[in-house]
Amino acid sequence: MNKIMYLEFERCIGCRACQAACRECGDHDAKERNYVEYVDFTESRQTFPMLCMQCKDPACARVCPANAIQITDEGVVLSAMEEKCIGCRNCTFGCPFGIPKFDFETNKMYKCDMCYDRTRHDIAPMCASVCPSDAIRFIDFDEMQQLRRKRTQMNLVEGKKPQEGNKWDYVPEFFGVYTDSQS
Amino acid sequence: MSQFLVKEGVKNQIRKGEKLVTTHCCYCGMQCGMHIRVDEKNNKVVGVEPRYDWVLTKGKMCPKGVTAYQTIDHPDRIKTPLIKKNGKFVEATWDEALDLIESQYKGIQENYGKDAVGVYGGVSMTNEKCYLVGKYARVGLGTRYIDYNGRYCMSSAAGGFNKTLGMDRGSTLPWTELEHTDTFFMAGSNTAECHPTSIQWFWKAKDKGAKLIVADPRETATARVADVHLDLLPGTDSALANGIMHLLIKHDYVDNEYVQERCNNFEELKDMTAKFTPEYTSKLTGVAAEKIIKAAHIFGKSPRSVVMFARGAEQQTSGVDNVSLYTSMALLRGQIGKFASGVATFTGQGNGQGGREHGQKADALPGYRKIANPKDVEHVAGVWGIKPEEMPKEGVSAYEMFHLMQNKTIRALHVICSNPVVSSPNINYVQDSLEKLDFLVVNDFFMSETAELADVVLPATTWAEDEGTTTNIEGRVIRIRKVVDPIGESKPDWEIMSMIADRLGKGKYFDYSEPREIFDELRHASKGGKADYYGVTYEKIDEQDGVFWPAPTEDSKGTPSIFQERFATEDGKANLAVCDFRGPSEVQSNEYPLWLTTGRVVFHYLSGNQTRRVDFLMEQCPEPFVEMHPELASKYQIENGERVKLSTPRGEMITPVKITKAIRKDTMFVPYHWGKKLAVNQLTSPALDPFSRMPEFKVCAVKLEKLTK
Repeated sequence: MNKIMYLEFERCIGCRACQAACRECGDHDAKERNYVEYVDFTESRQTFPMLCMQCKDPACARVCPANAIQITDEGVVLSAMEEKCIGCRNCTFGCPFGIPKFDFETNKMYKCDMCYDRTRHDIAPMCASVCPSDAIRFIDFDEMQQLRRKRTQMNLVEGKKPQEGNKWDYVPEFFGVYTDSQS
Repeated sequence: MSQFLVKEGVKNQIRKGEKLVTTHCCYCGMQCGMHIRVDEKNNKVVGVEPRYDWVLTKGKMCPKGVTAYQTIDHPDRIKTPLIKKNGKFVEATWDEALDLIESQYKGIQENYGKDAVGVYGGVSMTNEKCYLVGKYARVGLGTRYIDYNGRYCMSSAAGGFNKTLGMDRGSTLPWTELEHTDTFFMAGSNTAECHPTSIQWFWKAKDKGAKLIVADPRETATARVADVHLDLLPGTDSALANGIMHLLIKHDYVDNEYVQERCNNFEELKDMTAKFTPEYTSKLTGVAAEKIIKAAHIFGKSPRSVVMFARGAEQQTSGVDNVSLYTSMALLRGQIGKFASGVATFTGQGNGQGGREHGQKADALPGYRKIANPKDVEHVAGVWGIKPEEMPKEGVSAYEMFHLMQNKTIRALHVICSNPVVSSPNINYVQDSLEKLDFLVVNDFFMSETAELADVVLPATTWAEDEGTTTNIEGRVIRIRKVVDPIGESKPDWEIMSMIADRLGKGKYFDYSEPREIFDELRHASKGGKADYYGVTYEKIDEQDGVFWPAPTEDSKGTPSIFQERFATEDGKANLAVCDFRGPSEVQSNEYPLWLTTGRVVFHYLSGNQTRRVDFLMEQCPEPFVEMHPELASKYQIENGERVKLSTPRGEMITPVKITKAIRKDTMFVPYHWGKKLAVNQLTSPALDPFSRMPEFKVCAVKLEKLTK
């Protein structure tokens, strides 16, 4: 598996197809493991998807006293093994992204496993497959690098050149451009 | 072992003991490609798998699409015919139900004439069924009163296209070209929520630098990413389009050669738009003049542009004007009939395109023929095997049918694939009209609000239990495949109609054993018409990923791009629209000082009869809400989440508030997917467009009240 998950927050349209699709993945017990949140609904309809970052050195696995969270050879951080999980919820507190979920009925954690039964055969995870706006993509490393370079190119095409003081203004390139007038 | 291949070179996950059936979604006009997972042992539907190879949607689906399969084997499915006895539904056999329908229909028609039985169709079903609804009404029942829910959906787009271009195909270009477009002008469409999988094409174009202009009273998920958001007052689209055209002419963005060669009325249009200066347009629409100017320059300068619109612009009393004017914008720029440019409407219902072409409309016959035209009647009567004089005359539009139920002209009604007591405007009146009927038959697979009023409910199948074709948002005819056998005693609508026709002594006209035979008849019935399906076959659809109509000959491959040489009008020239701004039918008053507009949310489809039964979708959006600007909320001292009362002269509703700055300060928005007390259509205006008879769902004056505790 030489592919990566690539998120572009500003493309998200808030449809939550990724969450519906997550429930459809075979090993997911019809429970979604990803998130879509509003940045601030009062201000704007901007939403963003959030998935497991599949950390190299995952805090969730580190703080698990039962060694229930396994990491595959490809580096996918799996959901806790049911027979090992003791329901201590350390992982939910340890994860800096707030990813692991907890089922209070079965007393077990569950989390995104990047649809391991799909991705290990190079088939895109359900969320990336269905995402209508390509906010979530499952692409080659090279393609990802190309996409990142493309953003700089688009700035140049539009005659904009980032300066040291404002380079971060250029990250959300695809945000709307509005006139300042009152209406 | 799991398998991974469905189509050559395309990897899919196929689990052990399962097979994939390749089909399309049942919901909106995008008709996203999907595979349905079926357990081979017990032949039950178990899930969904993306169809990566479908050319238009590439495996992408919205949350409705992902969960669509859950409606097939749903516990709420109606599995036997139901007959109402003493106000309660009792399970019955098909024979009992058909006996009752036969005696009622015959009795009513003998006493009050053939036209006393009406048919109310829908377009969330295959071409085969839509076609047969028209034939069932005219041949089976012999009634003139037939219309369908597309009257609330696509009729203004159809009217506008017919007027300007002479033919109504929702899109003049295949949408796979959209990634090469430079500018999109989108009016009254929240495509990110209503056709989510279309957004990939706009993003692809945007990634290459395309511009997006969106006209919408709300800063929707679509408008949020626009380069210019024209936040217009509901009901002022015609002023905006005239204003933009004024600027196109003023700044010399008109493609003079194209206009001279291919369009009529340019001088008249010039005169009409002369008064729509940015200042005047701004005054009418409430959009800042600089935004209008900016939009006109972006649109005017782009070499390839597509003008698109949806119900926001169409569901108004000036809906046809709006469509004609927006289409004229594309004509002035010389865009229609060229690569990656043109004009398109977003088809709301799954088969909104195909369903309106083949004779479900009060004035139409298959192939977009007109019932008022003797030649058209002759052709269709010939295919149907009846005498031309037996063909009933033109009926009335969907909403006007309810007037006829009130005055007892229509005494019995057969509703097929629709839920008018949720989807119509002013539904308190609609419900009263249906209650005045002597006899109501409803085909449905879930107990809809309309079915609750019925005397007989006939169990129809879902889309996955029957073969057929639909015509998608682009005008591409595609295949819907049968995934499983009908559940319980349910039957596909075509079989139900054939059985009733048989009881009425018309069986010989409805002798079908499978949908393919109906499609073959449709091909002949539409032959030579504007929507010519003669060259479309099931095989061809599979071979070439769908067939675009018109396909007039047997060896025709279809026509993805239309109007390349000439328009479908009599003189081959497009008619530029010369329409003044008329304004909505309602005006604000002291009593009703605010504007109300309605629309969809991404989690629900139409009247919600299907999507309100899917757990995931209900968890995301269980009830309607009213969106308002914080400034408006503050004026009424309303907090987020508080329940408020909205009222118009027609009705009222109580609903929770969602406060957001992403909406105009004078406009409120409520989604329409719920029935009864939760229905915003209790409030909406039944004023009709004079040409298309489309009700004005999108604009009404409303009163907002804080509830006292």
